[in-house]
This record gives sequence, C-alpha cells and structure tokens, in this order.
Amino acid sequence: MNLKSTKNQTKKEIEKAKSLSDLDNIFKKYLGKKGLLRTEFLKIKKLSKKEKIRIGKELNTLRVFLQKEIAKKAKEFRRKELSKQEKEEEFDITLPGKKIEFGHLHPLTLVQREIAGIFQSMGFEVVEGPEIETEWYNFDALNIPEDHPARVALSLGKTFYLKGGGLMRTHTSCAQIHYMEKNNPPLRIIVPGKVFRAEATDASHETNFYQIEGLMVGRDVSAANFKAVIQKFLEEFFKTSIKIKLRPSYFPFTEPSFELDMKCTVCAGKGCSACKYSGWIELLGAGMVHPNVLKNGGLNPKNWQGFAFGMSLDRLTMMKYKINDIRLFHSGDLRFLKQF
Amino acid sequence: MVFSYNWLQSFFKKKLPNPKKLAEILTMHFMEVEEVEKEGKDWVLDIDILPSRGGDCFSHLGVARECQALTNSKLKIQDSKLVEAQELKTKDLIKIEIKNKEDCPRYTARVITDIRVGPSPKWLQQRLKICGLQPINNVVDIANYMMLETGQPLHAFDFGKIEGEIPNFPGRQKADSPEGCFPISKKNPNSLLGRQAGKFQIKKIIIRRAKKEEKITTLDEKKYTLDEKIIVIADTKDPVAIAGTKGGKKAEIDRNTKIILLESANFNSHLISRASRQLNLKTDASWRFEHNLDPNLTEMAINRAAYLIQKIANGKVARGLVDIYPKKTLAKRVSLDLNYIKSLLGVEVSKKQILTILKSLGFKILDSNFKVQNSNFRAERGNKVLRAAGSNFRAERGNKVLRAAGSNFRAERGNKVLRAAGSYILVEIPTFRQDILLQEDLIEEIGRTYGFQKIKPILPLAFLIPSKRNEDIFWQDFTKDILKEAGFSEVYNYSFLGEKEKRIFGFKKELEELKNPVSIELEYLRPSLIPILLRNVAENLKYFKEIKIFELGKVFLKSKITKEKRMLTGVMAACSFYEAKGIIDSFLNKLGISNIWYDEYEPSYEEGKWPIWHPKKCAEIKVGLNELGFLGEISPRILLELKILQKVIAFDFDFEKLQKECSEEHEYQPISRYPAAVRDVAVLVPGFTKVEEVLNRINSAGGKLIRDVDLFDFYEGKEVPQGKRNLAFHIIFQAEDRTLTTREIDEIQQKIIKNLEEDPEWKVRR
Repeated sequence: MNLKSTKNQTKKEIEKAKSLSDLDNIFKKYLGKKGLLRTEFLKIKKLSKKEKIRIGKELNTLRVFLQKEIAKKAKEFRRKELSKQEKEEEFDITLPGKKIEFGHLHPLTLVQREIAGIFQSMGFEVVEGPEIETEWYNFDALNIPEDHPARVALSLGKTFYLKGGGLMRTHTSCAQIHYMEKNNPPLRIIVPGKVFRAEATDASHETNFYQIEGLMVGRDVSAANFKAVIQKFLEEFFKTSIKIKLRPSYFPFTEPSFELDMKCTVCAGKGCSACKYSGWIELLGAGMVHPNVLKNGGLNPKNWQGFAFGMSLDRLTMMKYKINDIRLFHSGDLRFLKQF
Repeated sequence: MVFSYNWLQSFFKKKLPNPKKLAEILTMHFMEVEEVEKEGKDWVLDIDILPSRGGDCFSHLGVARECQALTNSKLKIQDSKLVEAQELKTKDLIKIEIKNKEDCPRYTARVITDIRVGPSPKWLQQRLKICGLQPINNVVDIANYMMLETGQPLHAFDFGKIEGEIPNFPGRQKADSPEGCFPISKKNPNSLLGRQAGKFQIKKIIIRRAKKEEKITTLDEKKYTLDEKIIVIADTKDPVAIAGTKGGKKAEIDRNTKIILLESANFNSHLISRASRQLNLKTDASWRFEHNLDPNLTEMAINRAAYLIQKIANGKVARGLVDIYPKKTLAKRVSLDLNYIKSLLGVEVSKKQILTILKSLGFKILDSNFKVQNSNFRAERGNKVLRAAGSNFRAERGNKVLRAAGSNFRAERGNKVLRAAGSYILVEIPTFRQDILLQEDLIEEIGRTYGFQKIKPILPLAFLIPSKRNEDIFWQDFTKDILKEAGFSEVYNYSFLGEKEKRIFGFKKELEELKNPVSIELEYLRPSLIPILLRNVAENLKYFKEIKIFELGKVFLKSKITKEKRMLTGVMAACSFYEAKGIIDSFLNKLGISNIWYDEYEPSYEEGKWPIWHPKKCAEIKVGLNELGFLGEISPRILLELKILQKVIAFDFDFEKLQKECSEEHEYQPISRYPAAVRDVAVLVPGFTKVEEVLNRINSAGGKLIRDVDLFDFYEGKEVPQGKRNLAFHIIFQAEDRTLTTREIDEIQQKIIKNLEEDPEWKVRR
C-alpha cells in the first residue's frame, strides 16, 4: 500500500463526501474494525523491527490525519445543518416574556436620595429632625412670633396641634435650629423630611408632604454663593443647563428673602402646561438667614451669616416623573408605585 | 390685592412704564404681580403683597412709592388743601376718650357739617369698582377711597345718631365755647344750629373693650356678641362700631345725614387680628390693621378725606383736628455697614447707588460717613473672617491680598484699606416702614431695588471636607434596598388614622389625637404602621394577587409627651409564614445580624384583649435578649373587618433597635477546596415537637463538620401516624482542611441518628 497515494485518495474522498453518512462510510473504510488501516497495522507485525517502527509511524500519521480531516468535514456538515435549521425554524419573538417580580422604592425616596447625593458631593451633611415639634422650634425660634401675620396664617389655619401638647411641624426649617444648637459653624446641611399642613387636599395640596431644607453658614456666605450652589444643584438634578430668576419675597426667617424661579425645562421658556404658560416655574423659597434665627440657634450673628432654602420634594418628584396628582404619593396604590 | 394702573399713574407727572412692563419690574424688584388685566380704559394689577409690607403697601400710595424707586420717577404731593369753617371747633362738638392707650395708640377725628349725601362722582365710583369695592354714597365712598389710596381705614359716623352727654357745668362751657354747647333739636337731630333753649349736649366717643355679652348690629344687619377681648368704638350708651373692623348700624350714614364724625385711628394689630378671627369677620379694614399700620398715617388720611368730602359732598369742616396720640411713634435709626452689604449680597453696589436707592424708597440718610464707636457693630467683620483661620493665615484671592496677623491686623483689598469709619451710613427709617428694624432689612431693600437678578453666582469658598455620613439615613437606605431586592415595594402612608382603625385595632390610650383634624379619617396619630398597610393590601388586592409592601416611617405613642419612633413594617399577601420567615432571615443576614432567634409571642395583657396578631402564628424576633420586632400572621378577625379574604403576614421592627444591631463589617469566608457530602435524615416526631429542637440535636451531634442543615420536607397527614410529623433534612458535611472519607461521614451520621433517637418518641426513618 502506498501511503502517500492513500493519503491523497482519502483526502479526495473526504472532500467529495456529501453527507455525514458518506463520511461515516469513509471512516469505516479506513478506520473501521475491518478498515484498510487496521489491516495495514496487522501486516506490519511481520516486518523487521526497523521497518515496523518506520511504517508504524507513517500509518499512525495517516490515521491522525484521517481522523482530523473527517472530524473537520463532519463539523462543516453539522454547521451547515445547524444554519439550515436556524433558517427554517419558525419563532415568534412577539410572544410575551416571562416577568420577574422586582421590588420598587417610592419615587419620593428615589428623588430624595438623588438630591441628597448632589448636596453631599458639595459637602452638605444630611440631617433629620423630629416630626412633632414645639411652638418654639416651629415658630418663635424661626422669627415668627405670636400674633405675627405669618404666624397667624400658618399657625391657626394650617398647623395640626396635638391634644397632649405640641404640634406636627409645618416645615423642615425647625431642624435648622436643632442643628445649630448642637454644631459649630461653618455649617452645610440639608434636611429632608415629612411635614404637615391642615389643608384641603387636591391635585397639588396634601396634608402630609415632604420638604428639603438647606442651610449654609459661614463667615461670609452670600446671596451670590446661594445662586451658585443652587444653580449647580439644579443642573445636576435636571441634567441640563438651567436658567434661574431670583426675585424678592418674604419669609420671617430670612432677610433678604428670595423666590427662585427656574426657566421651564419642558418648553425652554416658550410656555407650556407644565409652567402654566408663563415660561417659568416657581421652585423654591430662600434667603439669607435672619440674625434672630442665628441667635436662636445659639450663633452670634455678628460673626456668622448664611443662606437657607426650602423646597417641596413632592413637587420636584412630580416634575421629574411628570406626575400630575400629589395625592398619588400617599395612595399606596401599587399600580402607581410599581412604575418606579 | 388689586391696584389700578391709572391711579398709580396719577401720583406721577412722568409716564410710568406700560402696565405689562411695570408688572414685570414690580415682580422682579418688589412683589409678584400675579395678573395684569385691562379693564375699560384702565388696567388692573393683582399684586401679591406679602405680610411684611401690609403696613404700607395695602395702598396705592405704598405701591406708588415703590414705583418711584424702581422707575426713577418723582411722586407728586396729593391735594389736601382743607378749608376749615371758623365758627365751629371740633373739640367743642366731640369728646374722645381712650380707655387703654395700648388698644388704640392714636385716634383722630373731624366733624363735617352741611353734608349732602348722594352718589359719588363717576371717576371715584370707577376707581372703587376697579379695586373691587361697591360704591355706596359719597361719604362712605370717600372713606373707602382714602383707605385704598393711603392704606388707612377711615370710618364715618352719623353725628346725630351718636349719643352724647349733657355737660356737667354748662356755665363753664358757655364761657369757653359757646358754639360748641348747643342744643340738639329733637325734631331735627342733625341740626347743630337749632339753638333751642334747654339742654346742651356734647357728643362722646369712647374707645373701650366690649362688655361680656355686649351686642352690636353691624352695617350689614348682622348681629355679633362681643366680649372683653374686643375693642369697640362706643358712645355713652352703645358700641357704634367694632374697632378697626366694622361699623355699627346705629350711627350709619344715610340719605338724611347732615353731619358726620370722621374717624381715622390706629388700633392694636394683635387685638384686631384676634377679634376678626374670633368673630369670623374679616374686612378690608381689619386686614389692614392686622398688618401694623403707621400711627402717623391717620392725620394725613383724615385731612385728605375731609378735603374730598368738602369738595365732593359739599361739607363744612369744623376747625381743628381732635387728635389723641399719647405716645408718638418716632422714626428709628439704623446704622448700615457698607462692607456687610457686599458680604451678604456677594456683590459690590456703589455707595452712591446705595444712597440713591435708600432715598428713593423714602429713607433719610442722616450721615453718610458715620463713625461707629459701638463695638457691637459689625465693624471688624473682615478681621474675623481671616482670624478664624489661624494667626499666620494668608489668603490670596486674585489680586486681593488679605492678611491677618493677630492684633496688628491690616486688611487690604486692592488699594482700599478697610476701616470702620467711612464704611457706615446712618439711616432714618420713616415710620410707614415699620417692617424695617435691622440693617439686614435695609440690605434687602438695597438688594431688591438693585436687582437680585444682577447678582452674579459665585461658588462659596469653603473647606474641602467630605460631608459626614448620617448613620440613620445610611441604614434606612440600606434596609430599603434589601427589601427592594427581596421584591418588596415601598409605600408612604399618612401619619394619621381615624376612628375606624381605632375601633378595628382596639387602640386606646396610646393614641394621640389632633386638636384640629381635617377629617374624621385623619384624626389620630398612627401608633403603628400596620393598619394603613393593611388598608393598602385590601385596596391592592383588587388588582394584584401577590402583595409585598413595606413602609419605613414614624409612629407616635402617647405618654406624658407624645413620643415618635421609627418603625420598619412590611405586609405580605399570598405568602406563607415560613416564606416570610425566610425573607426575614436573609434580610437580617444582609444587615449583618446573624445571631437572631424567634421566640414565642406572648401578648401583654392589653394586647391580649384585642390582638393584631394571630395568637399562635406570631414570633418575637430577638437578638440575644433584645427584642427587635414581630413576625406573624395578622389575626383573621382583623382581616375579616378589613374584608381581606386571605392570609396576611406582617413583620414589624422597631427600627432604632434594629439599626443598633446592624453592622457593615463583613469578612470573606474562604470557599473550602474540599468537596461537600450530603446525607439525608428523616425523623418522625410528635406533632408538638419544634423543628428547632430537631436541628439542635443534629447540630450538637455533628459538630463543626456539619456545614449546613436544610429542612426539605415537612409532613403531617395520612402517610404518618396520627399526631406525628415527619421532618426530613439534608445534612451537608464539609471540612476545611481535608476531604471527608465515607467512613468519617457515616460515623457522624450514626452519631446524629443516635442523638435523635435518644428521645423514645422520635424515630429516624430508615
């Protein structure tokens, strides 16, 4: 047997094979129990030792060659077969997927975290305060003395009083005082929290809602600083460039006081339903901390000054997710909550 | 409050910016103009005057003053050239008595005779209408007009209807002022000149507190019962007006009125405010008095009103103003630190500009180069800034070199050396600006007039230190995230609950109550998060089969002072107790709490009477002896009330206690390189035997070569004898340092079986 010609012949045969069964036949012919190579191996037993080694080696090489070639060809057939199958198989990708049940955090939690994250990155500490307050912390300490028109408006109309004494805080500003009492300036804090107002509820008013208060106190913290900090915050939060407008306002606990409007991010100031066709959105109240408030917090207003601001967490959340009714937040409705 | 554009314009010679433009200027520098609307030939501006400026800006004059400052126009002086009748002296006609000067700091009055009551001229009617007031008659309209113009409420009484007193010493009066002591004709009470022989009467007005149960009928025919907290204007017999609030029917101006008493007074704002709330009677007048009017305003307003009455209603004004003003309100002075303006606003406004702004707003500059001696002023502000940072501090900001070296301090900013002298101005505050008390108030005036909008944002210079982590918030976030991973959705509920929950859950003395709830469903502070979470379940079951929700929030427990406590509570529908227990195990594990155990729930006596929990299917979750919370099935009796037709499992953690056990410490446990082997054991035990007991026996026999034991089957029923339960466990054996041999494992397994069967009632099934 001429090994070289056998090799060439097998190569041709493998190339010509049209199916796996053709290959199977080739395998049987050469490598099977009664195959050609097997017979050749039997033959070499009779040869001299030297020859035995030489031919044995060659036969082995041929065997390895054959196995490899057949395997290669077989893989080729299988590949073709599979790609044929792939092409022919019918499959409907529009059938619905199998759902898995995730948990969901409340949208107010998500937005609170986001806001806190931005302020923390600017060195503001996140602080909490009690929900039941005294008149001192909720009003007097914040420069809203008894019989003051602001006190009258907030206290009589809108404050929930407890039969056993105390009240439900109407703003998170009380936490400013608690914090100033316990910490030395410079101060940088934000205070998220639940607040309460005795109001008739509608799509934009709730009796239980959330605020975020901010306070920065230092030797020379200014209104210009407030503008820069709040602008940075808004840009981070809304992830776009923001135009703000600062106009005068009145809060007993700040002097000067500002109202901050933001150019509507929905219509870029052209006017839309989100901004009630004014192009601007009233976003938050702010101002320079009133000296009396600093004093009531135990700081000397001759040495310290700063800004404070307060905004409605509910409102920012409603803006972010385009939620049109504040009452959804406390509805406990999973059809709402599972969207976040 | 609404303002007439034409009226505002009437204060100026120069043309004001057009209404829209003016509105924009006012919004950006004064207060928000909420609406601008054309009405006939006039425009109406609805300005949201905030309470701080109620004292001067509930008036066209006040807003005109703002326009003066903001549009660089000059206010005209309003006409009030009064011609007084020489033959009549006011003080002879009327006697005013203020019982308590704190109640009424000032009372001014005039008497006007020969009035022709009739409709007002058209222009006046129009102005009133545009501002939302209905014209009544010329006298009343002029009083209202003056209120809209100056902010000072005035009231006109029919002089003839006021009761007076007969002077005790007619002789003296005759000598003093013969014109004043006149008889009142019974036929014609309005006539001053009916000098019939007999009784002389002088009218008397008393400003006093009402008597208890004293009654008054007001102009609108409503009856009010008053008390000692309410100030009234009275004659010798009855109240003729609720002071600063509403006039009485008794001395109403009518068509026949010929003589009027015109009142322009100042009342204690707190008392007016209280009375108006108490009587639930809010009027244009009371609203203004509540906002602290300037007592110096009364005179100007009454004179101008008298002038107009004279002009329009043909009146004769008696000579002299009756003015009871025991303690004059004087102008305050405030010293203003120019450096502080810059420091607080963060912008440099030139001194010239500052002075212009203040003057245009009506402030008087007493000294523009004021030397401050009092060390209480903020003269050394700059120094303090720098000293705070240490004695060798040197900061460079652009070109500004700031130096601080102990007591030899010298500050240089550019070329300017800052010293106390020269950087102060002394300002006199006009009394109509009672809201200005401090230099910060003046800085606001400067800032807003200059334009807050013009202040350029500057990032603060602050220490670059990371914010301190708030541990409470960190663990709140951490636990919320774990529950979310476990498939829970977070809800926020009201902190209030109502009578229904009180009844169903049997809350009693732990319940704190609101004094002023908005509804009976929101009347109490929640002592537990469970009730409303169950309501959430009931509502969501309409749309969902499986429910897993939680809330992390405060509950309130009444004791001497009501305490608030943060709780973490979850409820699950379509979930078994054991599934929930598994969730809690993993949850606590993730929080770094490992040594937890579940104790039998023993309701306290109070709880036992009206339990939330199923008495058998509830466990106390404990770490050591510390009780963190409860896990259990909600009592079916409660579910029945809430119309929930399936089992609900709940967990209820005292979050503060839970947080104390939480730990972030976490150490990697090397994965054993040696294979684990699993053997099963099934044991038949009496029905009352707890799995825990079986586990304990397996573990104590197996020692540390047991890596884990899993209960994989639990059976009670037909296949096992009555009263027995079959428990089957996978026991996983693994050593850290070698591959366990079959012999070794068999030996331990035998030991375990022996240990289990030590109890004669337990039988290991082979």
